[in-house]
Amino acid sequence: MSAYPQGTAAAHGLAACHVCGKASSAALHRCPRCEAPIHVRKPDSLQRTIALLLTAVVLLLPANILPIMHTENLGRVTPSTILGGVVLLWEEGAYPIALVILIASVVVPIAKILILSTLVLGVARASTASPHDRARLYKVTEMVGRWSMIDVFVVAILVALINLGDLLTIRPGNAALAFAGVVVSTILAAGSFDPRLIWDQVPAQKESDA
Amino acid sequence: MTADAAQTRAATTPVACLECDLLVDLGPLAPGQRAQCPRCGTTIAASPKQGLHRPLAFALAAAVLLMLANVYPFLAFKASGLERVMTLTESASALYDDGSRVLAALVLTFIVIAPAVLTASVIALLVPLVTGRRYPWLRHIGRLVFVIGPWSMAEVFLIGVLVSFIKIAKMATMLLGPSFWAFFAFTVCLTAALAALDRHYVWNAIEGRDA
Repeated sequence: MSAYPQGTAAAHGLAACHVCGKASSAALHRCPRCEAPIHVRKPDSLQRTIALLLTAVVLLLPANILPIMHTENLGRVTPSTILGGVVLLWEEGAYPIALVILIASVVVPIAKILILSTLVLGVARASTASPHDRARLYKVTEMVGRWSMIDVFVVAILVALINLGDLLTIRPGNAALAFAGVVVSTILAAGSFDPRLIWDQVPAQKESDA
Repeated sequence: MTADAAQTRAATTPVACLECDLLVDLGPLAPGQRAQCPRCGTTIAASPKQGLHRPLAFALAAAVLLMLANVYPFLAFKASGLERVMTLTESASALYDDGSRVLAALVLTFIVIAPAVLTASVIALLVPLVTGRRYPWLRHIGRLVFVIGPWSMAEVFLIGVLVSFIKIAKMATMLLGPSFWAFFAFTVCLTAALAALDRHYVWNAIEGRDA
């Protein structure tokens, strides 16, 4: 029991419920208040996070190489990739939107994968880097991930809206599903990482109750 | 039931910070008061100023708006004398018709199903709590409210509409339909409802005790 810092729920043999926050005996498998499964720490947190991050990395390749949509204009089919779309918007002078897409579709997924990998490595190697900074990084990745879905929604809207037969039709490309997969697996990866692991290596400060 | 009543009379529920696991002894909070973890600074609880009436009001408004958003045209597109109108759910069904079934299911889940289930469960949770009724099933609804959140992406979809708008501005005229504005207002109301739902306060209410 003393593997955990003094003053934490774990050190008292308690497991905090993720859903309602109640700390209950770790011997229980379900929270007595809300019936959600409870664990002292998320099970196999690091392994699951790494597995999901690897999935995201693998999907990142088709997501960026394959076309995300095809524009059919009078019999001519023009495929466009995520980066191609950003370049096109930039050339048209739509700088703010080009930046939004660049950040949401390219920078955020890669940054999220790098940050979560760093956090996993930090826990595995008992890093001495500031736990406050690492916890903050984790919260940012948790919040920002969903915004990467913008490009997938853009494809969904354009496919539904631009359907004028031979004149002009937009069809989804294979990168759309791959990219949705990247976003979903990074959201799941962030969810399976347990931020309490960051703090487990930090000796708790002055604690009054035993 | 007697065990429940005895538990209700206990002064506080033992609570731990979900970010760093520090056990915190939370006394009753005054309305508008916020409790932060002394170790990592995470907000553990924030007692709402107007209790649960505020999130309930926003959730009810959100439910009406989401229904409207599913009835009226969402966007219209005009090019070379041709016009096409789409509804909100067509952004998923058009993908399905094109053969991208998994993608269609994901889009439908993120922009319609998850937001609708979230809104409905907030209402199903808060109506009994506000009217002072307690049911054993409330805990299941409560769990749903706090688990489904990340998968509701209505606000991300709105930015997607904005980007689409700019992408095709060169080719054709795009018009925003009544459903778009209903969906926009829905997103604002749902966000406001969720922002006013404090985890600690809600679960104390479900357990039948004051904050």
